[in-house]
Amino acid sequence: MSMSKDRIGGVLLLVFCLTYGLLSQQITLLPFQENVAFHARTMPEVLSVLGIGLAVLIIVFPGSDKKLELAGYNWISCALFLGLMSLYGLTIRPLGFILSTSLFLMIGFWLLGERKPLLLILASVPLVVLFWVLMTQGLDVFIEPLPAFMKSEG
Amino acid sequence: MLEGILTGVTTAMTPINLLFVVTGCLVGTFIGMLPGLGPMSAIALMIPIAASLEPAAGIILMAAVYYGAIFGGSTSSILINAPGVASTVATSFDGYPMAKQGMAGKALAIAAYSSFSGGVIAALFLLIAAPFLASVSLAFQSTDYFALMVLGLVAVAAFAGKGDMLKALLMTVVGLMLSTVGTDQTQGVPRFTLGMIDLIDGISFLLLVMATFALSEALSAIIKPVNEADRQKEKEASQNLGSMAVSKSEVKEMAPVIGRSSVLGFLIGVLPGAGATIASFLAYGTEQRLAGPEKGKEFGKGSVRGLSAPETANNAAATGSFVPLLTLGIPGSGTTAIMLGALIGYGIQPGPRLYLDQPAVFWSVIVSMWLGNIILLILNLPLIPYIARVLAIPARFLLPFILFFSLIGVYFVSFNTFDIQLMVIFAIAAVTLRFLDFPMAPMILGFILGGMMEENLRRALLINNDSWSFLWERPLTLGILALAAICLFLPFLTGMYRQMREKIHPKATTGE
Repeated sequence: MSMSKDRIGGVLLLVFCLTYGLLSQQITLLPFQENVAFHARTMPEVLSVLGIGLAVLIIVFPGSDKKLELAGYNWISCALFLGLMSLYGLTIRPLGFILSTSLFLMIGFWLLGERKPLLLILASVPLVVLFWVLMTQGLDVFIEPLPAFMKSEG
Repeated sequence: MLEGILTGVTTAMTPINLLFVVTGCLVGTFIGMLPGLGPMSAIALMIPIAASLEPAAGIILMAAVYYGAIFGGSTSSILINAPGVASTVATSFDGYPMAKQGMAGKALAIAAYSSFSGGVIAALFLLIAAPFLASVSLAFQSTDYFALMVLGLVAVAAFAGKGDMLKALLMTVVGLMLSTVGTDQTQGVPRFTLGMIDLIDGISFLLLVMATFALSEALSAIIKPVNEADRQKEKEASQNLGSMAVSKSEVKEMAPVIGRSSVLGFLIGVLPGAGATIASFLAYGTEQRLAGPEKGKEFGKGSVRGLSAPETANNAAATGSFVPLLTLGIPGSGTTAIMLGALIGYGIQPGPRLYLDQPAVFWSVIVSMWLGNIILLILNLPLIPYIARVLAIPARFLLPFILFFSLIGVYFVSFNTFDIQLMVIFAIAAVTLRFLDFPMAPMILGFILGGMMEENLRRALLINNDSWSFLWERPLTLGILALAAICLFLPFLTGMYRQMREKIHPKATTGE
């Protein structure tokens, strides 16, 4: 049995459905709920059976035999961007919106090949400041613009 | 009905709402034109902004973005042969050859006139069909709604295409599974929260849409290596459009095509799950057959009919897909599923009651469709040479911005940094599944309908004293479920029938 794209996807989703099915058994039920026709576990149980069944069907009868080809794609860039997004989530509060977002964009442009420092700054900082002004003044959505240590007391 | 139309006109024609229509059309065209980003991402990116507006204004903005994005998608199909979404693939069959012959401006104009006509005619059908269907569906009960949702989910998978049905069904189930995360609505029991307080309220719909569409589409563009020759082609195409004039004979040729494709597109759009892609291909095929052997040969080489038919049909179908959303509260496509999520976010439950309880929202959506189409024609068409320059902006600047807008859009709603981390996890899963050719739209549909489906089923069981007999005792429920079963098994049965025929008459099918 060779591993086509469909089969790999099927296996991954089978693992997901099995985990979901196992976790569904941990949903707590009150004693009187165990004998009713529909309780908090009913839908998850039905779904896990359906999911497992469909995943097995895909593995056994894949729709296409297209093989997985990983070569020729920028996987490293993608991984770096995922890391960058996660880092952005961690820094948006301590560094403030303007600094964290400007850094996020500048690193992003750099990862995709832009190397001119002036362009990196000009394409990010003014737009981030403008966006912050639009959000706070135009849509009344306030977000702390500066790092925590630069905030004025009181 | 006249009173309703007037309500819609007065709501939609306020200066601020008109501004939203114009902005929405422009922003939608801009986003739709970016290769890889389609109407679903465009609407998803607008949700955080729409959430801060009045419901009618928010929906008007999203409807305008939707139309703009479809138009933008057609533009990139015609200019650089890069359809952002499946529904504009058929547009590129004749639009791109026309552009290659130096008639890009004309192709864009034909596409714009066809989209406009398709949208306007279909909005007229919607105007008639929606109130009628809404009044009929007032008689629907929980059991019927449950059955309708099953039909909607099954239909999406059934129309997914040969070999993809099982994948679409599985993705629907995955969406349903994700909808069960969080506190159980009736019993207050936490489910699949993994002990995390951040998951007690479940997964945010906006977060899931942004991660699986906007983020994963931008990341997919990062993964694919950029071809410099293609970039050059995009740059040139965005600068040399040629004349936009359409001759009288071309208008004569387009008129009957538009008429037929509007009706076809609308009817297919109304069917849950079928949507704009099937409508555009079907209209293209129909017109090719109707054109006769002589004109039929021009298809694929820059035919006016071949460009007009799919453009009319995909816009008509986009309008048609609002019928089940507005009247039954059941989205027929991924895009309307996002709209449904946004409406629920406003505390509005689409369905037959929407027509009675929120007439301003109901009618202003319909009126805004006309407005959106008019704006697209009178504003976007002359501006297209300028908007098309977006194709020349380097991807290295555009992609980080798309990622930023997606992340901040979700963060600005919850102000919870956990959401950004959750988005990253979903984005990894979505990129992987996209790479393995698993569709995302059925998952979103499953996610949106999951909660409602469970609630309706639970209510139906409660009314029927915990008996499942309602599934076969109520004729309407049984009828809808039977239709769902037909949708589910028809592709298998036709496949088996074809195989059997091949075995019996091998020569006839192989053409020997």
